[in-house]
Amino acid sequence: MSVINIALNEWARLFLSGRGWAAIITFSLIWLIFLNYAIAPAASYVSSADFSFIVQLLFGSFEQTAFTNWKSAEIALYWIFSLYLLPFFTMISAADQIASDRARGTMRFLVLRTSRTNIFIGRFVGQYLIQLLIILVTIATVLGLVAYKSPEKLPVALSEAPVVIVNLALVLLSYVALMALVSVLVKSARQATMLAIVGWILSWFLIGYVQNNFGPFPVLDWVLPGSQLSTLVRLGSWDTLSLAPIPIAQTVILLGLGWFAIRRCDL
Amino acid sequence: MNIITTSGLSKNYGAVKALDSIDLSLESGEPIALIGPNGSGKTTFFSLLCGFIHPSAGSATILGHKVGSNALAGKLAALPQDAHLDPRFSVKRQLQLLARLQGFGGRAASQEVDRVLDIVLLSDAGVKKPGELSHGMRKRVSIAQSLIGNPELILLDEPTAGIDPPNVKIIRDLIRSQSAKTTFMISSHNLDELEKLCSTVVYLSEGKLIESGLIETSSEDGYLTLRLPSVPEDEFVRECSKLTGVLRVQRQAQGDYLIQQTEGHAVDQALLAMLAKNGWRYRHLIKGRSLEERLYG
Repeated sequence: MSVINIALNEWARLFLSGRGWAAIITFSLIWLIFLNYAIAPAASYVSSADFSFIVQLLFGSFEQTAFTNWKSAEIALYWIFSLYLLPFFTMISAADQIASDRARGTMRFLVLRTSRTNIFIGRFVGQYLIQLLIILVTIATVLGLVAYKSPEKLPVALSEAPVVIVNLALVLLSYVALMALVSVLVKSARQATMLAIVGWILSWFLIGYVQNNFGPFPVLDWVLPGSQLSTLVRLGSWDTLSLAPIPIAQTVILLGLGWFAIRRCDL
Repeated sequence: MNIITTSGLSKNYGAVKALDSIDLSLESGEPIALIGPNGSGKTTFFSLLCGFIHPSAGSATILGHKVGSNALAGKLAALPQDAHLDPRFSVKRQLQLLARLQGFGGRAASQEVDRVLDIVLLSDAGVKKPGELSHGMRKRVSIAQSLIGNPELILLDEPTAGIDPPNVKIIRDLIRSQSAKTTFMISSHNLDELEKLCSTVVYLSEGKLIESGLIETSSEDGYLTLRLPSVPEDEFVRECSKLTGVLRVQRQAQGDYLIQQTEGHAVDQALLAMLAKNGWRYRHLIKGRSLEERLYG
C-alpha cells in the first residue's frame, strides 16, 4: 500500500507543481516542433537521397536502418528519434526520485512511516509510469498525425505501434533505474542528471579502454543503459525483443545497487 | 513499560565520537528531557533512534522493536531538526500523504490532518504552502505531522528553537495536553522550559551519558531557589545568612538566590517570615536547585 501511495505521489509531484508543469510544457513544445518538422513530412523525405545520406552518416548504412523494417515512415522516424530522445528526457525528468527530499530532510518524515525500500521502489514505479505515459502520449500524437494526413496508412501504423511501445518501455526501464540509483547518491536533481551523464560517458571510455587493452569481454558491451540501442535501431517487428534481457538485467542490477545505497545512506 | 532501551549505542564520524557507548533504559509516561551543550550528541541520539543514521556500534530498541523496524511505523514519530516539507505543495496535501502512509484511508487521512492541525492551532494553514508560513508556524506544522495517528512516542528535537514566546506557549501547552496518551522526549537548550514540562532528564555531554533520572527526586537535595525582583542584594544575603540552618547564600542569574541548607534543617518557613518582616516581595520559591544550576552550576 505504501509503495502505491509513494508512486501516486510522484504523479502529483509532476502534475500538481509548477516545476512539473514547466517540464511538461517544455517537453510538449519540443515534441510539437519535432512532430511538425520531422514526423509530418516523413513520408516525402524518407525516400529522398539527402535523407538516406544523413541516415548513412548517423547509422552507417541506410539498408540496415529501421526504414527497411517498418512499413510506416512516421513510425520508423518516431522509432529512431524516440530511442535516443526519450532516454535523454528520462535522465532529466526522473532525476529527482530521492535527491532533493533527502537534502531537504523531507525523507525523514517519510521513513518514520514506511521503509526506505518502499520509498525507493515507490518512487521508481511512479517515475516509470510517468515515462510510460510519455511514450503513450507521444506515439498517440504520431498516430493522430497519420490518421489526419493519410488515414489509409493508419492500420499499418497501428499494427506497428505496440512493438514500438513495448521496446521503448524496456529501453526506458534501465534509465529510470539508473536515475533511481544516482538520485540516492547526490543532493539535487541537477546533480543527479550531471552525474548520470558524466558517469555514463566516463564508463563508456573506461569500457573501451578495458576492451582494447585486456578484452574482449562480451559482457562489457551490454553494461551501460542504452548499450543495445545501436543494434536495436536497426531491427523491426517483434525481433526487437531478442534484446529485451539487456535492459531488464541492467534494471535489476541498478535497482539492487540503489536499494543497497538507500538502505546504507544517512538521511 | 520500557519505551527506549539502548546498549552501547555509539556513532562515529571519522575520528570524532559523536555518541560514545550509551546505555539507557527509559520508561513510558511523563515527558523526558534530553539535554546537553552544543555538540553533546543530542541530535545524533535522536537520529539514531529514528533510524535516520546507522550506529557505529551498539543497538537500540523502541517499544521493544529494533530501531528501523517496520513495526514502529505509526508508533514512533519525530520532529527532526532541519527537516522541511516540500515547498511546492500545500501543508495539507503533504500531511495527508504521511497519514496515508500510516494506514489512513482517503477521507480518514483528511480528517486526521484536520485534527492535528487543529491541535497546533493551524486549522486555516492547511491550504498554504510551507513557504507562506512563519518560522513558528512551520515548526508547529512539523509538530502536527508528528501527532498523526497518536503515536506512542514522539521525539521533539529543539521544538522551541528560534520561536517567539506566543508560539513557545502554544507548543508547551500542546505537549502538556498530549502527554496523557503519548510519551514525549524533548531536546532543548531551554532548561526552564524543560523543567516545566518534563519529569525525567537525560543529560549528554561530549557524546557520553552523564546522568539519567527523575528531575524532582534529584533536585530536592538541600537547596532552595528563591527569585526576588528588586531587593538589595547585600542586605538580603546578610539577613538570610543569619537564619538557622542556612549554610550558604549565593546570587544566581535572573535575580535568583541559591540557598544551601544544613542537613536536617528546612528553612523555607523561616525564610518566608524574614521576607515578610523586611517587606520584600518574592516571585517564586523552589525546593531544590534549578536544572540549569544542578547541571552547570
